Amino acid sequence: MENLVKEKKILYKPQISEIIEAKMLTDLEKFFRIRLPEGKELGHTPGQFVQVSLFGVGEAPISVCSSPTQKGYFELTIRKVGMLTEKLHELEAGDKVGIRGPYGRGFDVEGFKGKDILIIGGGIGIVPLRSLINYIIDNRNDYGRLIILYGAKSPSELLYQDELKMWEEREDIEYHVTVDRADENWKGNVGVITTLIPPLELDLDNTIAAVVGPPVMYKFVVLALKGKRFPEKNIYMSLERRMKCGVGKCGHCQINNLYVCQDGPVFNYLEIKGLEEAI
Amino acid sequence: MVQENVKVENLKRVEFNEKELRKFIGFLKEKGKVYAPHRKGEKSFAFMEVNDPDMVVFEYTRTILPLKKYFFPTREVLLEFNLKDNSFEIPGISSERKFFFGVHSYDMQSILRLDYSFTKGEPEYNYLTRRENSIFIGISFEPDEYHFCKSVGIAIEDMEGFSLFIDIADDDRFVVFAVDEEGLELLKEFGKKDFVTGEYVFKEREFKEKIKYHYGRLPQIFERCYDFETWKRVSEKCVGCGNCNLVCPTCYCFDMEDDVDLRVEKGVRTRRWDSCMLNEFAMVAGGENFRKEIYQRTRHRLHRKFKYITDHYGAPFCVGCGRCSKYCPAGINIVDVVNDLIKEFEEREKVSL
Repeated sequence: MENLVKEKKILYKPQISEIIEAKMLTDLEKFFRIRLPEGKELGHTPGQFVQVSLFGVGEAPISVCSSPTQKGYFELTIRKVGMLTEKLHELEAGDKVGIRGPYGRGFDVEGFKGKDILIIGGGIGIVPLRSLINYIIDNRNDYGRLIILYGAKSPSELLYQDELKMWEEREDIEYHVTVDRADENWKGNVGVITTLIPPLELDLDNTIAAVVGPPVMYKFVVLALKGKRFPEKNIYMSLERRMKCGVGKCGHCQINNLYVCQDGPVFNYLEIKGLEEAI
Repeated sequence: MVQENVKVENLKRVEFNEKELRKFIGFLKEKGKVYAPHRKGEKSFAFMEVNDPDMVVFEYTRTILPLKKYFFPTREVLLEFNLKDNSFEIPGISSERKFFFGVHSYDMQSILRLDYSFTKGEPEYNYLTRRENSIFIGISFEPDEYHFCKSVGIAIEDMEGFSLFIDIADDDRFVVFAVDEEGLELLKEFGKKDFVTGEYVFKEREFKEKIKYHYGRLPQIFERCYDFETWKRVSEKCVGCGNCNLVCPTCYCFDMEDDVDLRVEKGVRTRRWDSCMLNEFAMVAGGENFRKEIYQRTRHRLHRKFKYITDHYGAPFCVGCGRCSKYCPAGINIVDVVNDLIKEFEEREKVSL
């Protein structure tokens, strides 16, 4: 048996990290910039997640929303949905959180090189996609077109407002946004995110779609993409599941034979197509 | 997967009587903790630490909980934290030498399967540390109406994983096989001589419970059965209590939780056994539940036993101990479920034997 224990690494040990910036983005989402001990790099790829914990409350998987091209810190955007996230919302700059990770498989940013990238983000799905978007922006010459489709329930729920403005203004980004319900100041598109897909002119053989949103969104986005004859093999999506360990043991995130924390959270559509529990 | 079939005729063996075997347990106790089956109630048994070798039970059906509790405790502290300064400590885990005496082959096989799961990918420090330096001494048994390990490819006399294996040959005659060097050394040190090798015939031991197909054909069933009616039908009785997960020797899902003391200064992060049959198991923040119906959870549990992990491990993860059937409060029998799937498979495929 001795030879089975090759590596004595304790898996559930958090790194106590410092929040260096915290701000509310909307009524529900709070943004955190975090520094690991001794300014260590997280070393993630866009699409990966970390396990965030507060002693006495618990731990939960949260997507990293910053690009690994930003050094010395990483960023999270956390929606208030339960007890842990409620407590996390009380934290400000200078407070500490526990971090484990990064975990999982992110977007294949190497494999995407030279391709047009179509980002489709619904609601807080834009959070992990922001990491990919900023990565592409920082390596702009390595990629073709960058098309961003973003949908939210209402204008007040749009995240990263300053950056949205920048995406809109940049000539090398094609940015389209829609809301389900407009308010009096909204002049843009109204409707669900799938309404942004049909008008797109895409190079079907050379475009990657990165899709993240609420569970209900995936089926409709896939249908809309298929309506454009978009190849299934070029669709990637990130799935959200309950996770406890982050390392393929606890069983919570399992979809059929796949562990979201190890095999995902980013999946190629062909890997999860036909899995009833996936989308 | 390493499926080494130990060749019985090559193993050194030696005979014990009951008194001597109990003395041997006492001898092991001088070397480390010894765990063995004890009577617990009229018809139930449990693995417990041996205090008095005379209390060890040699002939038993199955223990309520399998051996996993020693390597993967029902509840364990992962870290102890201090809320005042956000500091924490990781409690030490002992890897002392210990003996498991009187283990049935299917339970040994379950440990080999857990070894696989806890070693694969990121090695699980906590499990593996407790697991190392464990020595297993197997024993034969008479199958009851729930055992079906033969149907999943595990013989009563399967010696893989053991250091010693005891065949209960007669009332007061125990034939002890030295399966590995460590086992042989123990016997010699105890003072045993006159080892013999050569052909040995085990008693005929009949299984009353059987899966209709050879386990080699089960992947074929589990390739097709996802949409079968059987799942819904067998799940009508299920109350979703998760008992089957707890008593299953190859279930190892867990939950993690923080507990704080009354003064809100210190606390512990613990992990405890969890059950994929419970409603909240696959629920995410915001309320979406990816397996909200009981039949989906039953299907998931059986796929974990016969397909998902099996596909890479190479053998069923179910070891045929019969615990989930015996301890199911609704009387659901796993062999009946698999046989019903086979029946539906045959009806659908119009194949007959």
